Amino acid sequence: MAQKPKAASRSPASRSKGPPKPAPVKETPALEWASAAVGLALAATAIGFTAWDALFGAKGPPAIEVKLVEVTPTAHGYVAQVEAFNHGGEPAAQVQIEGVLSSQGAQQTSGFTIDYVAEGSKASGGLVFEKDPRAGELMLRATGFADAS
Amino acid sequence: MDANAVYARALSRAFGGALLFSFPLLMTMEMWSLGIAVERWRLLVFLLLTLPMLIGLSYYAGFEPTFRLKDEVLDALAAFGVGFLLAAVLLGVFGVLRRDDILTQAGLGKIALCAAPAAVGALLAGKQLGERGPGAREKERAGPLSELFLMAVGAAFLAFNVAPTEEMVLIAYQMGPWATLALVAISILLLHVFVYQLGFPGETRRREAGDFRRTFVAFTCPGYGVALLMSLYLLWTFGRTDGVAAHEIATMTVVLGFPAAIGAATARLVI
Repeated sequence: MAQKPKAASRSPASRSKGPPKPAPVKETPALEWASAAVGLALAATAIGFTAWDALFGAKGPPAIEVKLVEVTPTAHGYVAQVEAFNHGGEPAAQVQIEGVLSSQGAQQTSGFTIDYVAEGSKASGGLVFEKDPRAGELMLRATGFADAS
Repeated sequence: MDANAVYARALSRAFGGALLFSFPLLMTMEMWSLGIAVERWRLLVFLLLTLPMLIGLSYYAGFEPTFRLKDEVLDALAAFGVGFLLAAVLLGVFGVLRRDDILTQAGLGKIALCAAPAAVGALLAGKQLGERGPGAREKERAGPLSELFLMAVGAAFLAFNVAPTEEMVLIAYQMGPWATLALVAISILLLHVFVYQLGFPGETRRREAGDFRRTFVAFTCPGYGVALLMSLYLLWTFGRTDGVAAHEIATMTVVLGFPAAIGAATARLVI
């Protein structure tokens, strides 16, 4: 089938005059079936998952949980790596994360902004403190966000 | 040559075409954030519209000279697979998917949104980079409806390249009503000139259709209408129309209608 029939669009039979192959209907190569099957599987996954998400996915505004992952002392302060997880039904944009560290009567506030946290997904960042967050009490929360679209 | 080997070559061409047509989008930041932000229902509608569009396109430009519905469907599915895989691999390499699981909304949304233009590229590549020239069958088949279909695909395809960017909204905000009207006039003029005056494929047949007024009413106006519709649809899909005043939506549609009109006019070049 490297040759394309020049005329007579509709009938595949017209080209069987030249080549010795008598079959009026051309064989579909196995590779064609295989790649179409891969395409079908991917399309079904994408459509199925999106439909499932649209129908049964979580509803409601973004609900963002912030938790501490790890504290690392560095030469430039204590780095508290935090993770934000969106339990809500909508993605959030420009999520402001704030951490308030209270230790020995003093308070220090640090914060950063995450561009996007999709629903059911996580994003991470770091807060930097002068004192060790493990020694004091660290309050983590998302203080605000913009709607993603 | 072995049919499988021939098909394998066509498939590699399809990957090349998908790459060529979709890399600007894969390397556009808004596409990634839109993959997260696009409302699920709109993404679903978009994906569901992509497949019949690919089948229709395969009818005109499949990476195999096919005649039967079964083959068009197989080609369209394969093209979607090519687009999806290419988008997944490249977005993965670019580190876009680094923190997302593939089966979350974030991961899948990003890939699915990029897969559609890549799939169109995959389908077109079969013909663009292929050995065969424009066959007689395409020209014969191009009735008014298929002409509109091709214009719609061309419009959607070119508009899709810029539709996700913030600039569409920004340009709309910057333009006053007179500038908007001027852009409408420019778009229509370009559409008409591109299709009927510059000697692109299919021009002769269209010119036979009648004089200036007739071609203008019968081809250019519907073409611009389709371009505007496609622009509006894409803006809606990307959530750009939500809560926006009607006149701003109109301006945005006209702004995006500019590349869409060029896409509609040149659809015949590419497809």
